[in-house]
Amino acid sequence: MNVWNWVALGGAAVAALVVVAAVRRRARASVSGRRFFRHPTAAPGLFVLAFFVTIALAAPLVAPYQPYEQIDIDHLQNDAPSTRYILGTDPFSRDVWSRLAYGARISLGIGALAMLVAMTIGAAVGATAGYFRRWVDTALMRLVDVGLAMPRIFALLVVVALWGHIAVPVLVLLIGLTGWFATSRLVRAEVLSLREREFVAAARAIGAGPGRVIVRHVLPNAAAPIIVSAALGIGNVMLLEAGLSFLGMGVPSPAPSWGNMIADGLPKMAVAPWSATFPGLAISLVVMALNAVGDALRDALDPRKEAV
Amino acid sequence: MIGWVVRRVAASIAIVWAVVTLTFFVIHAAPGSPFLPEQSQNVSPETIRRLVADFGLDRSLLEQYALYIRNLARGNLGESFALRRPVADALADAIPHTFVLALAALFIDFTVGLALGIYQAVRERRVGDIVLGNVALFVNSMPTFWLGLVLLLVFAQRLHGFPIGGIADPVLCPRVDSGACVLDFLWHLTLPALTLGLVGAAGTARFQRAAMLEVIRQEYVRTARAKGLGERRVWLVHALRNALLPFITLVGLAFPFLLTGAVLVETVFAWPGMGLLAVRAILQRDYYVVTGAAIVTSTMVVLGNLIADTLYAAADPRIRVRERSA
Repeated sequence: MNVWNWVALGGAAVAALVVVAAVRRRARASVSGRRFFRHPTAAPGLFVLAFFVTIALAAPLVAPYQPYEQIDIDHLQNDAPSTRYILGTDPFSRDVWSRLAYGARISLGIGALAMLVAMTIGAAVGATAGYFRRWVDTALMRLVDVGLAMPRIFALLVVVALWGHIAVPVLVLLIGLTGWFATSRLVRAEVLSLREREFVAAARAIGAGPGRVIVRHVLPNAAAPIIVSAALGIGNVMLLEAGLSFLGMGVPSPAPSWGNMIADGLPKMAVAPWSATFPGLAISLVVMALNAVGDALRDALDPRKEAV
Repeated sequence: MIGWVVRRVAASIAIVWAVVTLTFFVIHAAPGSPFLPEQSQNVSPETIRRLVADFGLDRSLLEQYALYIRNLARGNLGESFALRRPVADALADAIPHTFVLALAALFIDFTVGLALGIYQAVRERRVGDIVLGNVALFVNSMPTFWLGLVLLLVFAQRLHGFPIGGIADPVLCPRVDSGACVLDFLWHLTLPALTLGLVGAAGTARFQRAAMLEVIRQEYVRTARAKGLGERRVWLVHALRNALLPFITLVGLAFPFLLTGAVLVETVFAWPGMGLLAVRAILQRDYYVVTGAAIVTSTMVVLGNLIADTLYAAADPRIRVRERSA
């Protein structure tokens, strides 16, 4: 770590604070925004998320080394944290902090993108089932029953292990494809009650087709449960990615993800615990922040559930 | 009620069948073969051809599927390629191990989680509640396998307090047949059960706290207080009883958590249960062990939901009334 890395790191913290302050200022305008920030963990959670996103974006500035760079393979394996290598070096003589910063791109990126895939499918299936009901509903919900009966990590292991090493975009798609079942049930329940409301009847009366009614009228009103389960779901995806990478079936090395960093550090964990513990701490911290923000969002967007 | 149960059981069987079919075709569609490629130097192509024929892998996929389902209906789960023994035997060896681990973890999960949740609800928004709430949220957000690794590092590697893995001492206790060996087994069980149990307990505590706080604001609680009942009785008898209802759902949902969590935790602690068996089978393309594991896990998930729904109906008279009037 040189001076400029420290300055950049401090800048990331300041930027995160600015983001939280800006969001808070805009939130003050609405009832649910104020309710969101009344939740005691909302602002700290938002800060942690903004901080790690900033680090991911500014990885080249805050990281002193390249994530793949083996600094000195003969003399610098498993070096303890110091002012030069603040989180130590791993068994392959790479700077753990630099990998953590670049790994944030992959871990957070996989979390966000896989969740986007899952939410899109979940919302589409749930809305279709709830809106058309009858046999469409029955068929889709039986499919969801099957999906929910299969443990997600088991299903992913079968596919990933048997097809060998899989490119990261395919991994994202697979995680998304196995993660929409619960969301579709939530959306369906919401749509079932929304479709009976007057504004839907009105939209249909002026000649809107089912596609338009669902996309323009029903789904925007079902946004709250989708947003909440997305916030909570990103955390789940990150934990899942970590687990898969730990078994050697997630993001292939040497690309840094927080999960495979744990796997890389594992063989030397007894003598050099830092290379496996810090990425785990980063995952825990970000997932905790996501859960805190998700809880606050639920309280803010779902007035039926009293904030406790 | 009986008609409802019968319908649910039929649907559950259909779900398990669908999972099995899906797993069967996915693993057969994957590239590669369970046996070595024919260029291998050590095994003659002759032997491989014989093995493939022995296990019926040279037939068409639909034929294999029909055969598998026919055997399944007779209770025959097929034979493992790698272990050279019936899949049912391999599963029968692994299931008790996972079951004991799951039971121990559930015990920690529910006792710690319930106690913590009730304590937090009683001390709502005071220091104890806030501190414990944040700790619970943090533990609940950890990757389970990582917590296992950290516990291993601290308690087994640094403090030498616990074994680093396995189910029993292989030299002194190859079989659990004496008091000392039972202790040895429990000693081996502690860390993996703690890993699964603590992560679960953190979730249970959050859930239970919310349930208690929802109940405590209701009017019958005010009535109980107005009658002059002590706070202890109000919380632990009047409020807790109703706050336990959603907890039943949690019991059902804990089934899949323990089984999926177990895949990684069993790998970390070399615990010879279902998770470890399934992971190894997947890596070795041991087709019938994988489908066997899929049957067991999906059955557990479906069973968990079924039990939760039935218990819920049994525990809450209001649900039964609605059933009858519908």
